[in-house]
Amino acid sequence: MALELTPDAPSGAATRFKQIADQLLPYLIAVVVAFIVIGLVIGLMGFDVLTAYRTILFTSFKSKNGFVQTLLKFVPLLLQALAFTVPLAAGKFNIGGEGQMLMGAIGAAIVGIIFADLPLLILLPLVLLASVLFGALWGAIPAWLLYQFNMNEILTTVLLNFISFSLVDYVAVELFRDPAAGHPTTVPIGAGGELPLLISSPPLHSGLILAILVAAAVYIYTNKTSAGYELVVTGANPRAAGVFGIPVRRLFFASLVIGGMLAGLSGGIEVAGSHHRLIEGMQSNYLLLGIIIGLIAKGNNLAVPFVAFFIAILEVGASAMQRTLLIPGEMVFIVEALILLFVLLSDVFKKR
Amino acid sequence: MDQAQLTNFAKLVILAMVPYVLASQGTMLGGRTGIFNVAQEGIMLVGASVGFLAAYLSNSLLVGVLAATLVGGVFGLALAYFTTTLRMNQFVIGLALFFIGLALSTLLFKFAIGVTLRPPLVPTLPNIAIPGLAQIPFLGEVLFDQNWLVYFTFIVSAFLYYLLYQTSFGLELRAVGENPKAADSLGVNVTLLRYGTAIAGGMLMGIAGAYLPMVYTGTFTEGIVQGRGWLAIALTFFGGWRPDFIFLGALFFAGVEVLALRVQVIGSVVPYQILLMLPYIATILVMMPAFKGVRAPAFLGQNYDREKRTQV
Amino acid sequence: MQAVRKTFGSVVALNEVNLHINRNEIHGLLGGNGAGKTTLMNVLYGLYKPDSGQIRLDGQPVEIHSPRDAIRQGIGMVHQHFLQVDTYTVLENIVLGTAIKNRPTMQLAEAEQRVKALSDQFGLTVKPQAMLETLPMGARQRVEILKALYRGIKILILDEPTTNLTPQEVDSLFESLRVMVSQGMSVVFITHKLGEVMSACDRITVLREGQSVLTLDRAAASPESLVQAMVGDELDVADSLLFSTSKTVSDPPDRTQPPILAMDAVTVLGDNRQPLLEACSLAVYPNEIVGIAGVAGNGQRELAESILGLQAPSAGRISIAGTDVAQTPTVKLLEKLVSYIPEDRLQDGFLPSASVGQNLILGRHRQEPYSKNGFLNWPVINRAARRLIGEYKIRTLGPDDTGANLSGGNIQRVMIARAFSFPAQLVVAHNPTQGLDIPSIEFVFSKLLAHKAAGGATLLISENLEELLLLCDRIATLYRGRIAGILTRDEFDKYEIGRLMSGARIDS
Repeated sequence: MALELTPDAPSGAATRFKQIADQLLPYLIAVVVAFIVIGLVIGLMGFDVLTAYRTILFTSFKSKNGFVQTLLKFVPLLLQALAFTVPLAAGKFNIGGEGQMLMGAIGAAIVGIIFADLPLLILLPLVLLASVLFGALWGAIPAWLLYQFNMNEILTTVLLNFISFSLVDYVAVELFRDPAAGHPTTVPIGAGGELPLLISSPPLHSGLILAILVAAAVYIYTNKTSAGYELVVTGANPRAAGVFGIPVRRLFFASLVIGGMLAGLSGGIEVAGSHHRLIEGMQSNYLLLGIIIGLIAKGNNLAVPFVAFFIAILEVGASAMQRTLLIPGEMVFIVEALILLFVLLSDVFKKR
Repeated sequence: MDQAQLTNFAKLVILAMVPYVLASQGTMLGGRTGIFNVAQEGIMLVGASVGFLAAYLSNSLLVGVLAATLVGGVFGLALAYFTTTLRMNQFVIGLALFFIGLALSTLLFKFAIGVTLRPPLVPTLPNIAIPGLAQIPFLGEVLFDQNWLVYFTFIVSAFLYYLLYQTSFGLELRAVGENPKAADSLGVNVTLLRYGTAIAGGMLMGIAGAYLPMVYTGTFTEGIVQGRGWLAIALTFFGGWRPDFIFLGALFFAGVEVLALRVQVIGSVVPYQILLMLPYIATILVMMPAFKGVRAPAFLGQNYDREKRTQV
Repeated sequence: MQAVRKTFGSVVALNEVNLHINRNEIHGLLGGNGAGKTTLMNVLYGLYKPDSGQIRLDGQPVEIHSPRDAIRQGIGMVHQHFLQVDTYTVLENIVLGTAIKNRPTMQLAEAEQRVKALSDQFGLTVKPQAMLETLPMGARQRVEILKALYRGIKILILDEPTTNLTPQEVDSLFESLRVMVSQGMSVVFITHKLGEVMSACDRITVLREGQSVLTLDRAAASPESLVQAMVGDELDVADSLLFSTSKTVSDPPDRTQPPILAMDAVTVLGDNRQPLLEACSLAVYPNEIVGIAGVAGNGQRELAESILGLQAPSAGRISIAGTDVAQTPTVKLLEKLVSYIPEDRLQDGFLPSASVGQNLILGRHRQEPYSKNGFLNWPVINRAARRLIGEYKIRTLGPDDTGANLSGGNIQRVMIARAFSFPAQLVVAHNPTQGLDIPSIEFVFSKLLAHKAAGGATLLISENLEELLLLCDRIATLYRGRIAGILTRDEFDKYEIGRLMSGARIDS
């Protein structure tokens, strides 16, 4: 084996730019191919393909309302995606973001309703803290089962989602029911628990800033700290991590609890920012979209916010398409799943 | 509970077992060659949707079951292709297939039926009493006066047990999930077996899905599977990746489901929400000891590359 | 085999290799790691697809696309890492994949008779109904050979078959091979050990860097000519440590000083409360290399991991330079006291999905200058990584390159670079030269000896007895978790260590 000189890592703005472009290209191709595939399907069913494309892609930018809608979708999507990617860094699949979000929402609602009279400066932090704690608890259960019994976390996190649905029903029907609502819903939380608005019309709450700050903190943690390095090493090869003194099982535990906290916060922000109450079904399909975002970003926490924003655009476009063109919104979900598949495929073919 | 109630309860448990057993045997079968399918929930939803639609449009439940089998097989084929041929991460592909199944099931239903006030219905599967056997007191009525998919489930479980443990084909199949390189070096066709089990496993999951509208609701709804796909994974571990224990373990899963439902109907002091949680909580509880002792196939969830020099 | 060529990505593993094997001979395939011996045989056995070249059997060209084809052509192979199903019985492992009579009902009585007949014929004793995971290495190897014989093969390939055998077991293996050859078979014997080739083979082919260098009859071969063929011009054989004939490669240590590593009656229990390491007492002094000999799986891993604080002893005490291991977290031990080269680089030491830079700082990631106040200093890390890549000749694109792109030998260099990147009092090296080519082995040896010369202590755990005999000041032999005996350099004797390895002293 002859010695080869090791070239220095490329530097300079031009090469940096080329590197980024190289990484973005497969994404671009994946999006285009996914749209072509789905365009063929829509076209064959007799819908107007170009109008559908326009609606999906540009609804967010056509009006102030559309843009605010997109930002409001972006917040829970971003946090849900991070709730998936942080445990993923340690090699654990958190499929329980939905349940953790609902638990967070339950915590926020209970505190916001019971202490409704407290002023903003006290109640709002309490509401958000409660959501984080409840989410952490819901992440800690599968974490403990994994730690103690080596129980597969995919399974336990999913099963806890189903349990949380019933808990939401219990809180919204038996404990704090709003008799005026036709659907299981609690009474509103105190005004002091509501997130202040950044823009009043259309309303955009300050959860957006909170979510972006949290995303920045997560990125610094996983990519710039020794503790985050240990998390990544654990995910890369748990046995090697253990041999070099990293407390692997404790990190598994911690990663799932952090995931629970992030998802719990997303529930707290939905309650304190958007709904001001707990509503059955408020979890929408944020869990699945969060996972898709995390996987499209390949677990890279710097990329997650950008992917989340893109998916938020598609989601807002999907509802508009369903309203105006009567094309089921699930169509867009297929687009997203196809983008994911094509992004993953591009990796496989790059290796060859 | 008197005799008639007991018989009825036992009969319902057997009836409720079917989707668990089929989906779980499908999971086990793929796992025995190292393919860990986590798309059960999605495949069952698609199976339910396609099975219902095909039965509704053709006026034949059999056509519905066959269509669900086919679409389940296609999902299994996709899983096998992405993981065995392209060697992509099994969990990631499984989740992607779960998403696609989830979206596709609703989408197909909306496209085929549209939005209606009164849901379209198919008749439920009729009971076929087996002459002779059905006359045995209690057991006969419980086991042999059921619909044909129940009998199919019995036969599939027994056949899989025989195939895996009594034939040299089974010896080869299990070896792939334990040490594919060893199997490969002796001329066993690893790729073929992985494709075969993944496809057959997907088919069983598709049937498990189609069973739900044909036995319980008569129509397709978005929440029809209700986590049974995920519970089937739990059952597979609970049953130690063995067809015989999976069959027995399903009695427990189905028992809890039927019990929770019956208490709800009869009414009790416990809020119904607690009863709804019961199957999931019970599953987690029984899994605690099961997971410590269970021996899953050694190569579960991994992909095999004959020419890879540094296998991690 | 003619002009066989095989590439992995951009690496040329085999370059126009020719090999000719006669009937009734044991043919030695000699070469350092990475010379392409195993790759060539995997091509012959149908596991690798060659890019070009031809295989002829009895003069007829044959196409071998899979092991199934190879077996049909009468070729069998025993891999270095046995390819066995641990949860199957010996018999099930042997019949797996063969056309059994009564395929649907699997009657194995007849097969069992045949296995028994074969094992008598060739002196390969096994219990057909034993579960494979309960068997020791020697028996597992006999199963592998029987697997091939059961298929009626004419050519048997053995890949480094002596790795986990005691010298006594090696002799008995060679006897069995002689019987096979006398009955008309051919044997290909892959090894990097010169002595085995000289004692067992009829003809010898030497491979180097994916090329066949020469083929000789044993009578015409001398150790010197073979060594020169193995290493080519890259290494000056006269100055080489690996092929040195002198008895001493370093000065003896001074054992009157306090030891750096002190283990006192250490016992480590397994999951089932069985002792994996039992009452082990061992001291390693400054300037000393202590070797641990033994067949793999006799407590070596537990020994290494208990020293690193990864397995807590149920009894006994371990200290390194006066620091009690039980009281100190592993990360702290790795800071100044211990460097560790793990046994199984892929399982225990390497992060395939992480970058080379991330791999190089594992275990040092909480330590200045790599880390400050909990934050990693990437510019410093990348600079250090680039320096290590150059110094240890790791073939990679740079610190940002993905670990998965490295070959086995380069991964081992990462392990070595990591271990020696910071000074430590004690080096625990477990099979540090496995998978390395000859110049790299030389390099590792020189690193170990430099550590010794600088006053450091070394615990060298190795399955390669020659390596231990060459480098160590003392050799302790592990058998079933116990130290069966400790020999000092003037007492070194291969067969005595072999007796200790097989528990002769304890059992009798």
